Amino acid sequence: MRISTLAVISCFKRGVLILPKHSQPTMSKALQRRETISGYSFLAPSLIFFVGFVIIPMFICIFLSLTDANMHAGTTIFIGFSNFAKLFKDEVFLDALWNTFVIVVVSVPATCAFSLWVSSAIYKMHSVPRSLFRIIFYLPVVTGSVAVTAVWNWMYDNYTGIFNTVLKGIGLIDKNINWLGDSKFALGCIILILFTTSVGQPIVLYVSALGNVDQSLVEAAQVDGATNLQVFWKIKWPQIMPTTLYILVITTINSFQCFALIQLLTKGGAGTNTVMYHIYFTAFKLTEQRGHFGYANAMGVVLAIAIGLLSALQFKLAKEK
Amino acid sequence: MQLKKLSALALSAALVISLAACGGGGNPSEQPSDKPSDNPPAATQEITLWTYPIGKWGDQATVEALTAGFTAETGIKVNVEFLAYGDGDDKVNAAITSKSTPDLIMEGPERLVANWGANGYLVDLADMLDDEDKAEINAAALNACTTADGKVYEYPVVMTAHCMAVNLDAFKAAGADQYLDLETRTWTTENFIKAVEALYAHFGDTVGAVYCTGQGGDQGTRALINNMYGGTFTDAEHTKYTWDDPLNIKALEQLKSMDGIAFDASLDGGKEIAKFYQGVLKMAFCWNIAQQLDPNQAGTGAEKTITGEEIAFMAFPTESGDPKLQGGIWGFGIFNNGDDARIEASKKFIKYMADSAATVDAVKAASYFPVRSAAEGTNLSDVWADDAIMNEYQVLMPYLGDYYQITKGWAGARTEWWTMLQKVGAGEDIATTVATYAEKANTAAAN
Repeated sequence: MRISTLAVISCFKRGVLILPKHSQPTMSKALQRRETISGYSFLAPSLIFFVGFVIIPMFICIFLSLTDANMHAGTTIFIGFSNFAKLFKDEVFLDALWNTFVIVVVSVPATCAFSLWVSSAIYKMHSVPRSLFRIIFYLPVVTGSVAVTAVWNWMYDNYTGIFNTVLKGIGLIDKNINWLGDSKFALGCIILILFTTSVGQPIVLYVSALGNVDQSLVEAAQVDGATNLQVFWKIKWPQIMPTTLYILVITTINSFQCFALIQLLTKGGAGTNTVMYHIYFTAFKLTEQRGHFGYANAMGVVLAIAIGLLSALQFKLAKEK
Repeated sequence: MQLKKLSALALSAALVISLAACGGGGNPSEQPSDKPSDNPPAATQEITLWTYPIGKWGDQATVEALTAGFTAETGIKVNVEFLAYGDGDDKVNAAITSKSTPDLIMEGPERLVANWGANGYLVDLADMLDDEDKAEINAAALNACTTADGKVYEYPVVMTAHCMAVNLDAFKAAGADQYLDLETRTWTTENFIKAVEALYAHFGDTVGAVYCTGQGGDQGTRALINNMYGGTFTDAEHTKYTWDDPLNIKALEQLKSMDGIAFDASLDGGKEIAKFYQGVLKMAFCWNIAQQLDPNQAGTGAEKTITGEEIAFMAFPTESGDPKLQGGIWGFGIFNNGDDARIEASKKFIKYMADSAATVDAVKAASYFPVRSAAEGTNLSDVWADDAIMNEYQVLMPYLGDYYQITKGWAGARTEWWTMLQKVGAGEDIATTVATYAEKANTAAAN
């Protein structure tokens, strides 16, 4: 049995020190039951939502991925792993999967490295400039994605965008570049926007984590002659590893689930189709096609497995570190 | 502890109530079923209409004025929800899935007949059409609203011909206006090519865009490519996609080779119109009378770009001089929610809007042309007699071509079409690409 934090605090307030289990052998069963009930009651709101909106849909998704379900009336037939077999022969899905991996592979390390670099530069600053930088980098996060995307859309515009105007003005290009319409550039443009909207939270987290690094260890290492790089790599890096792990996992999931930018800017065209967008398109646009819900769910399962595997790998690597 | 228990109980109760609310306690009578109920219809006082932005049928004040007239006459209240083309289909599909469809929906046969009607969600309206109605309604429009087995899933109200537009001032500046016949609003493919050359020589940049970021406004690109050398999109029976027609390939090769024409995967029809309205592009392939009356829906005056340059509507260029324009037909369908009273009330609404003295206002709100010559004694042929632009635009109506949007697998085929255009624009072999995507469209339609 665990002693609840509330109970410990309550006893401290009364001037009584509660002892660990081995020192206090009994706790009345009624008290245990009451605490259990109140514990679960407080847990219930989150639990109901979690079960209702995550766990149950997850199982429904897995079940439907094994069927030919669609939005139209009629019998839903269990078709085993046919949807999955079809997926890996579907060029459009494989393209979307590839694009998604490119986004993850480029965006995640870039976001982590950049946010760590910025955080290292600003965490020792006076609180005013530090807060200013945090606000600047956090603004794209709190600004609505539609507004952010609209601004980028103007900047990327093929005919009147600022990028083409500036590049032509300084003589770097002769003809306008169709940033969002040319497959050579479009995915990179999406990654750039994703990057700017992703670095805000990691910077805030890293600034906080770096501020919490044990300074006595840093000073001791410096007294022993450690270089700045050695101090960072041997002292600070291990201490901010939990933050790094959290950032890696969250950024990976966000990158895998890149949807709004694609929907608002390219609609999956010009080589920017992602698995998330393709799921939406298959489920809600290609409603005439037989088994479109089942097929979209199969994509969802594959995406979830990919995210799970990559997150597990990150946890494992971080643990070894 | 007592306080804890109370708090926990209150929290749980609040959650259960909120979840119950989320679960939707919709009126059971709104739940769809495969067939109408056996209960005799009782008078209903309230129905729901979902409408896409068809002219001012997307404007709340206009639609409220129309529905107020219906309510005054019948006592039936109409709740209206306005859909956008961007996500309207998603909302309807979600409503179908969650069995919460509206009573009435206003759009075209490609959705109402080929999709929702064919899949059994709509009520057959054949009983609303007597011989007089059939004589008054344009035969092609009624045909598009009718399935092969004679079911009418859309009661048509208005129609138009989609066309293209040119910036007349820019054409004059480039000396390209000589290639336009502004009387018949037609031009030859050869003259179209010469005009683009003249415009490019004058402006030195893209003057027209084969937009292909998505399906929005894709009737323009289809009509351009089909018309240039007389290619087809489907067969006459609407059973197969035929855009791998060598005449379409010839048109694509011609367009791809032209300086001044760009295959632009960053634009759809709406954005193309915006670029044309801004004066960036000198021609628009996504156009119709609604745009002519209010370019880019900007409210800055009919037939003018943002800088006041004159816009002229044109048919798509052809070799034969006989363009086949894409038709637009809009009307009402009724979702079968299993409640005969609501279905009857919805039919009254359709009768009021599509076949009564009030039809004049319903047509004018749409900014298109009536599909019928008269409605219960009211002459509709001169409904736009007082509008010079509408009258002028009627020169295009005889060019209305086949309404092939009701071909099976339409949504998938549209996706393959714009994906194919993107690939062509990216420089892939045109004949191979066209054949590949036409085959994909036919394969998807067969499944």
